[in-house]
Amino acid sequence: MAVEMAMEPDYMRDPRKHHFSPYMENGGTSIAIAGDDFVMIASDTRLTRGFNILSRNQEKVLRLTPHTMMASSGCWADVLTLSKVLQDRITMYSHEHNESMPTTAVAQMLSTMLYWRRFFPYYVANILAGLDEQGKGVVATGASVAQIQPLLDNQVAALNMKGATPPKMTKDLARQLIHDAFISAAERDINTGDGIIIHTITKEGKTEEMVKLRRD
Amino acid sequence: MSILNYNGGCVVAMKGKNCVAIACDLRFGVQAQTISTDFKRVFELGPHLYIGLPGLATDTQTVLQRLQFRIKMYEMREGRRLKPHTLMAMMQNLLYERRFGPYFVEPVIAGLDPNTKEPYICALDLIGCACEPADFVVSGTCSESLYGMCETTWQEDMEPEDLFECISQSLVNAFDRDALSGWGAVVHIIEQDKVTTRTLKCRQD
Repeated sequence: MAVEMAMEPDYMRDPRKHHFSPYMENGGTSIAIAGDDFVMIASDTRLTRGFNILSRNQEKVLRLTPHTMMASSGCWADVLTLSKVLQDRITMYSHEHNESMPTTAVAQMLSTMLYWRRFFPYYVANILAGLDEQGKGVVATGASVAQIQPLLDNQVAALNMKGATPPKMTKDLARQLIHDAFISAAERDINTGDGIIIHTITKEGKTEEMVKLRRD
Repeated sequence: MSILNYNGGCVVAMKGKNCVAIACDLRFGVQAQTISTDFKRVFELGPHLYIGLPGLATDTQTVLQRLQFRIKMYEMREGRRLKPHTLMAMMQNLLYERRFGPYFVEPVIAGLDPNTKEPYICALDLIGCACEPADFVVSGTCSESLYGMCETTWQEDMEPEDLFECISQSLVNAFDRDALSGWGAVVHIIEQDKVTTRTLKCRQD
């Protein structure tokens, strides 16, 4: 609530007052879906400021290690700084331990790093996705979360369906869900659009797919 | 805290093949406190004409009473049943009369034309701006979630059984993510020859 008020758009503030906010909302929506032996993470490529578009082509998923990726959105300045610092810490870990940092360790470190800034937070919404041979879970975050989250509850977790069990998550099903969720979100949310990049991580490696969204 | 979020609640309506569906949740609360779990906000105004009135609960009741009065006067004078499109026009007038001290409801209308049996849906804002889309309309505290669900699951020309599944899943999964809506749902499927009303039980929180 306090952060939202600090970031209210200029047409909502009293024009007679000076106002400085260290934060800015730059939009962005991400989805991550995990399967038994893969993880898929996708993010839209639009960067906004108020009703304006800053970029139609901004990659928001960061490759941290060969088997971990992170999608970040929110205040783009904080996204850049956080990802820079995180990448450096991960590199230092691999120098000290002579192995790349496991996904669970990255998650724990990210949590600590964010809490260090408890009283002047990074205004960043993160999803960390990676391979640890760990199974189910779906997370959505960012601008269109209200539109997308109930869809994932219903289709991935099979909530509110009598007698249904959660489907075995395959790459095709995950890709189709991500695709449909973003197409729908782009219809109804002004901050989502232009395109999405879907990253898939498996034991064999990573693949990337670019899907176009409506540009209005 | 917006006045439209004081009591909570939501309504959704969808068009199908020769049928329409309208559904609402059953929660009535005062901010975080739930007072009742059987507060319907969809009302029958004619054999195939339903209106949903989500928003401030006191205005839900008042607008319904004033509307019922106007409809009875209309049907007495005109000697015929109200068409859905005419109900929309009546609501626009009722709401705009209070332009600078509005009723805090954002109505949703669903029905079949009494003569042509054409399906009709529309949504209005609290001061009477109406829109009549071809697919679905949503209103209430979880309207964004409802937009996301409906946009993905709605298809054109769904039969009544499929429309029921679609509208039920859209509503229930959307209000499960909203603290101010839920505690059960009522779904009406309006076809040419009958109206089927079902009550859904879901997570009670």
